[in-house]
Amino acid sequence: MILITILLIAFGGAFVTYLAGKISGKLRNILAVLVSLALVVLISLIYRREISREYYTLPFLNLKLILMSNPLSWFFAIIIAGIGLLSILYSLEYMKDKERLDYYYFTLLFINASMLGTVISGDLLSFFIFWEIMSWSTYLLISYKGGKAIAAGLKYIIMSIIGSLAMLLVIISLYSRYGTMEISAIASYMQTASIGYTLFILITSSLSFVIINAFWPLHTWLPDAHAEAVSPFSSVLSAVLVRKGIYGLYLFMYVILGLNILNKLHVGFISFSSVLCGIGAVTIVFAAFTALVQEDSKRILAWSTVGQGGYMLLGIVFATASGMTGGMFHVLNHCIYIALLFFVAGAIEHRTGGIRNINELGGLIKRMPVTFIAALVGISGLIGIPLTNGFVSKWLIYKTLILGNHPFLAFAAFVGTWGTVLYGYKFIHNIFLGQLPEKYKHIKEAPLLMQLPMILLTVTVILFGVLPGIPLRVISAIQRQVALPPLQTTLFGIPKEAGELNMINVLFAILISCFIVWLLFRRAAKSVPVQQDDSYAAGSYVPKEKYHYTVNFYNPLSKMITPYLRDVASLFYLNIARGTQRVCNIIRRVYVGEVGYYAMYIVLFLAFLIFIQMFF
Amino acid sequence: MLSPVLLIAIPLGFSFLAPLLKKGAKYIPPIAMLFNLILSILLVPQVMRKPIIVLLGGGWPPPFCINLVASPLGILLALLISLVGFLVSIYAIAYIKEGATEKYHTLYLLLLTGATGIVLTGDIFNLFVFFEILCISSYALVAYNGDKHGLESAVKYLIQGSIGSSFILIGIALLYGLFGTLNMADIANNISYHSLQSPTLYVALAFFITGFGVEGAIFPLNAWLPDAHSSAPSTISAILSGIAIKTGVYAIARVTYTLFSAKGFMIFIATIGIITLLIGEMSALGQKKDIKRMLAYSSIGQIGLIIFAFGIATYYGIFGALFQLVNHALAKSLLFLASGYMIYRVGSKELSAFEGLGKKMPLSSLVFTIGAFSLIGLPPFAGFMSKISIISAGIKANNTALFVFVIIVLFATIIEGCYFFRVVQNLYFKKSRDPAHNCVRDGCPTTQKSEMPISALIPIIILALLIVAIGIYPRLVTGIIESAAIGLMDKVGYIHQILGIF
Repeated sequence: MILITILLIAFGGAFVTYLAGKISGKLRNILAVLVSLALVVLISLIYRREISREYYTLPFLNLKLILMSNPLSWFFAIIIAGIGLLSILYSLEYMKDKERLDYYYFTLLFINASMLGTVISGDLLSFFIFWEIMSWSTYLLISYKGGKAIAAGLKYIIMSIIGSLAMLLVIISLYSRYGTMEISAIASYMQTASIGYTLFILITSSLSFVIINAFWPLHTWLPDAHAEAVSPFSSVLSAVLVRKGIYGLYLFMYVILGLNILNKLHVGFISFSSVLCGIGAVTIVFAAFTALVQEDSKRILAWSTVGQGGYMLLGIVFATASGMTGGMFHVLNHCIYIALLFFVAGAIEHRTGGIRNINELGGLIKRMPVTFIAALVGISGLIGIPLTNGFVSKWLIYKTLILGNHPFLAFAAFVGTWGTVLYGYKFIHNIFLGQLPEKYKHIKEAPLLMQLPMILLTVTVILFGVLPGIPLRVISAIQRQVALPPLQTTLFGIPKEAGELNMINVLFAILISCFIVWLLFRRAAKSVPVQQDDSYAAGSYVPKEKYHYTVNFYNPLSKMITPYLRDVASLFYLNIARGTQRVCNIIRRVYVGEVGYYAMYIVLFLAFLIFIQMFF
Repeated sequence: MLSPVLLIAIPLGFSFLAPLLKKGAKYIPPIAMLFNLILSILLVPQVMRKPIIVLLGGGWPPPFCINLVASPLGILLALLISLVGFLVSIYAIAYIKEGATEKYHTLYLLLLTGATGIVLTGDIFNLFVFFEILCISSYALVAYNGDKHGLESAVKYLIQGSIGSSFILIGIALLYGLFGTLNMADIANNISYHSLQSPTLYVALAFFITGFGVEGAIFPLNAWLPDAHSSAPSTISAILSGIAIKTGVYAIARVTYTLFSAKGFMIFIATIGIITLLIGEMSALGQKKDIKRMLAYSSIGQIGLIIFAFGIATYYGIFGALFQLVNHALAKSLLFLASGYMIYRVGSKELSAFEGLGKKMPLSSLVFTIGAFSLIGLPPFAGFMSKISIISAGIKANNTALFVFVIIVLFATIIEGCYFFRVVQNLYFKKSRDPAHNCVRDGCPTTQKSEMPISALIPIIILALLIVAIGIYPRLVTGIIESAAIGLMDKVGYIHQILGIF
């Protein structure tokens, strides 16, 4: 019953919020927060409860639709609800003076509801229905801002329709073969399916997940969509929606097929997993370097979303305890820090009047210290610096790659991280460090309601970095669910038997070294505060205007790599789209407009029919 | 006594009432169609138990008289015709203002009489007569606006339609020459139980498919459709797209399933359907300017999908086809009606003129979006349910050719998504242009909002609600569609019911 309640509150709440907006804006805001809070509470209630419940029977296909909860769906559901709540909180202030707010809150809640629906579906048809609802409602919010967002939205929806139709083909084919769509039933039938059919199912369904998770070469919708959407929604997109692809892959690879079948799928040394690994590695490297040459704060984050997806893929395709755990943990970690970073970018945008070009910013550390801390912690998490959550998951993934003897993949992962360090530093430096431009001398810190979600996420990044045992416990439960070996964990990391990692030791080591450094500095001469301008100009005259330019960061490197970063895939799709348009225009000319031709068509058709019937 | 005869007699009688009441003529069609709607809803439970057969003409038993067959299929379509007819006629009260309005209403009722007659009759020549009633009134209605485009396309439609009708007549003559009967059940009986395999029979089938195909808009017989649909008044486009071409499809299905039971021929029908689908959808994508022409091409595509589903030739296929037929009738008439007032307000059929209309006409834009989503086949709208049933029928048939066709259907869905989302983004996300650009007609709104009049809004909102309701609770219609599909498959039952033999 609780699952139905969750869905009813999620979808009903969206409609009620919309109607409330017609009465008063305040009521709508309160309702939106209450609905998303209620979802978080309800979902926390079903922790560790395995429920499966029929809720609807589709008459003509004679199908029972089922809702269920298990560790996998709980893991994703709590992420969706949590980020949903935070983005709603953040929107209260961020969206304050924007237009069409009823529509905005309705759509945001509706998207959250449909995403919840996909993860708690117990059969493939409801999974597909919620997936489709998610696709089109996301489109409605990506294009919300108008302008450039329109093209981004169209690109997204077309790719997403292609993906979901591939999935439709798969689920209908499964249905017509086995007469059911229940995930557990299909899982048991698939154990005896032929290799060819399994491959067909796996590859076709992967298409939609690869698109939604934006793996190279099907990533082209993501950078535009994420950059052009409004910031609170960008964080939902990046943190949760994109990762439905990982959920889907996990569902098809491990829940429905299982490891035994996956291991059979290989020709020589090429297997399904190795193809996915290759995609993951290319995605990591390509995205990291593309992010490096971006000048738009949200575009940098968007490309990093593409790249980090590759790490998750590298984690989950290796069905070892540490790889799987690392991949899943990275899903959670990435969701936390990327939401945080999009909130940061949004806060900057909010205060500076919509500036996203990081070269125009600088020195904001003095004006927006809380936002700076959030950005610093977020970027540290993204890079994977110890004591942040990203470190633990990346450590697990690296370990898997190295111990599993995959030097090239490990190298790609490292290169990706180096790229991340570079663009992460660029992000912090160009926005927060350096000279504060004259026009931003008087901007204020982000409003409290926007700070709150950022602070919460910042704390979580550190918390999960020091105490990774909390989330790892949930992830081990997922592994047990699909009968894969779970990773043994302690509160502070991983015990000795499973390859030691103890974050509390790392914490103390760092604290002690900080203490030593502090002692050394105390012993040294007393520090004299010097003006930033002084140290910068070494005492000589400092011009009043702009003297600190941050354009062309990493110029030599950018020059070197830019020629290789042409987004071939994107151009290719563009050409396909143009070609299709052209063909369609030609096809349309069949209707020439001359009635004589039309009469001829009719008579020819008759002749053709008679011919066909005579001879066949 | 509820008799299906009234379904034909009432609109026919009322249609001649319309010219007498000059001013009140516009209220005649809603009254007549409301009566039909109620009557057909009341007939549904009765018909689901046992089809009603009405004998006309001297009380002779079939095959010696004209008979009406109120089977589930007939009543389903009659219900659809009266529902769409009723809603469109309410819309027309405010929409049809200029010109010879009483003639419009007369012709409108005649068109619906013809459509209802086609789906109810059990006699092939009677079917032809009703077909002519429908076609001739639609030729005149297409030209109703009286402008150059309207007249030109009406004449083109007339020429092609007449060729089609003459082909049907030839087909009937061939059959009459062979069997000496015009009763469909009797012909079917003759064909299957005397197992006649003469080439004349094949030729007759070819003539029928071509003839009905013109009205049913299968490729390449559908060249009249984009012209006629785009230059007719929007109410007529809605009826043509929602009802008129569906009767052509019904006639093809009736002829191929009941009359000839040409099982081996069905894969060919499916191929025609797929080609029609592909050509229609691609033309719609290519049509970037005129919204009504785009909707017309999309109708061609949808008809192709319905015909493809009939061509699958299994129970599931027919079920999907009928389901899609119902949903398309609802969604496409919704789209034409919604775009009708939008075009009127912006004074142009150009897609680019629709930019930013979402703010000025919020409700119309919303229902337009619902209709478009339903046609693309997005859940939770009605179109999803029918599309999924067609796709599952295609895959269940376990035939490689059909599997390839299903993939083409999916490809066409992508194209559909492209052009419908193009309209939706124009409505909602693009800023409206200079107001002077949008305002060329007089009576242009001065206020920001300029929603359509309430009497036009109600019918399209009802259509939108129906689409959502069927999408969420398909059981609303699946019951009668299931028995209609069974009825169409069951040729022996049909013959048995009418002739009372075996």
